[in-house]
Amino acid sequence: MSRVAVVGIGHSRFGKRTDVTLGELAFESIKQAVDDAGVDKGDIGNVVVGSAGGWYEESLPAVVVNEYAGLSGAGTMRVEAACASGSAAVKAAYNSIMSGETDVAMAVGVEKMTEVDTPTSVELIGRAGSYVWEFENYGMTFPAYYALYAVAHMNKFGTTEEDLSRVSVKAHRYGAMNPLAQFQKEITLEKAMGSPVVSWPLKLYDACPLSDGSAAVVLASEELAKKLSDTPIWIKGVGYSSDTANLSRRDDYVGLRAAVSAAAKAYAMAKVAPGDVDVATAHDCFTIAELMAYEDLGFCKKGEAAKMIREGQTEIGGRIPVNLDGGLKAKGHPIGATGVSMAVEITKQLRGEAGKHQAPIRNGVGLVHNIGGTGHYAYVTVLSRD
Amino acid sequence: MDENPQLHSRRTLNLRFDIPISKTQEFWEALKKGKLVSTKCMKCGNVSFPPQADCPKCMGGEFEWVDLGTDATLVTFTHVRVTPASFAANGPYTIAIAELESGLKALAWLEGAEQQSVKPGMKLKVAARDGGEGNPYYVFVPA
Ligand SMILES: [Zn+2]
Repeated sequence: MSRVAVVGIGHSRFGKRTDVTLGELAFESIKQAVDDAGVDKGDIGNVVVGSAGGWYEESLPAVVVNEYAGLSGAGTMRVEAACASGSAAVKAAYNSIMSGETDVAMAVGVEKMTEVDTPTSVELIGRAGSYVWEFENYGMTFPAYYALYAVAHMNKFGTTEEDLSRVSVKAHRYGAMNPLAQFQKEITLEKAMGSPVVSWPLKLYDACPLSDGSAAVVLASEELAKKLSDTPIWIKGVGYSSDTANLSRRDDYVGLRAAVSAAAKAYAMAKVAPGDVDVATAHDCFTIAELMAYEDLGFCKKGEAAKMIREGQTEIGGRIPVNLDGGLKAKGHPIGATGVSMAVEITKQLRGEAGKHQAPIRNGVGLVHNIGGTGHYAYVTVLSRD
Repeated sequence: MDENPQLHSRRTLNLRFDIPISKTQEFWEALKKGKLVSTKCMKCGNVSFPPQADCPKCMGGEFEWVDLGTDATLVTFTHVRVTPASFAANGPYTIAIAELESGLKALAWLEGAEQQSVKPGMKLKVAARDGGEGNPYYVFVPA
């Protein structure tokens, strides 16, 4: 089977970006990724744009982004998999090369969430489930969905609110090393624990912010990737799965079925085991989500995620460093951009270009875990130096 | 914060949806009488909640309505403090997922319970509420 590699990466500054339009924001990443890959932009046969949308003025983000960057004419589409839209874009771009349609494809993730007021953003994300049965009468919010999981995990495994806050402290420690992160300040456990409750037991510091941002990756076929790059980062495994819209139709609330299934597929395709992973990004839209990811990815046994964070096993120097870019919590979570941003981060790590937050690379294997909604969509991608 | 110049759009968008309920009308009618019913597939016997006319298990299209009872056990919950824009008038509320006697689960507000007393495993009852304009909804209350 032929292979596909990441040969170019680009990443904007994340945060409240009142200085740029959607097109201008996407261009920041597209330009870097095209330059990094060293391709002629006219050779990009497929541009897949990951964006959830609804909070910015454009209805057709893909064509707006492409027009601004002079990419009109390429095959394109906008893909939506909620907060995993970015990974869905990477997968669609990957598929177009694997199928032989094109030798070069680009995945662009972009979101502008701050052009509407915060209550409206909260409203739009709160509808990310089953509208009539969860929102119309009950006003679910995104933190509320994950809080239901947090309570169940705490009840079953003795995970504590402090354990949740520890994830946030770690995120901010690494976010402080990332010049593109929305928050670049360390925080204390006391500050996280003392922050206002959003949806008990989740507090402000358990939640990712509303963000604007973009990220892009240029992918190439095996033959071309070897010509273009001395350090192509190969996409070795892609696993994806989904779950019910209604949370009431889930078996339990201590892990995400879709993530377990996506991980199993990705590991099998890449022929690697969880223990082979040198560095990972895990979808920490809320702190509980990162803890469940450790278990769903097989980084630890079910119920032992709190032990992992307490022992520092997911920090640099630990067994599997996770979210060394600050994660969604500190780096920011522009929904459609996140999955692509994760692929950018793992590519940097495997190239040895992550600077102050570089993980030790032993096996040359990195992993992206990207969840849409509350485990509604799950994408796990394994990247490798060889 | 917004020192950058902005074009504040003059064109607003006000979205309100008319959602068809003809296939689940019996559910809403029964709820007005305080009963929680749902759809049971005539072909494979699968009971769905929320109700749906077409079976997600075997794709069969024939079903009957069955009574799910009003006894429930709390599985998980959260106390929502920061509410969506359209719930601004509601103040904080508690959302629970509870298991019905049949093993099916439902999500709804939990009303009338002291926050400190809410725990997984607590016994609940399903109760009907009037949402206005003839639209009922269901909540959980302590048993
Ligand atoms: Zn059936």
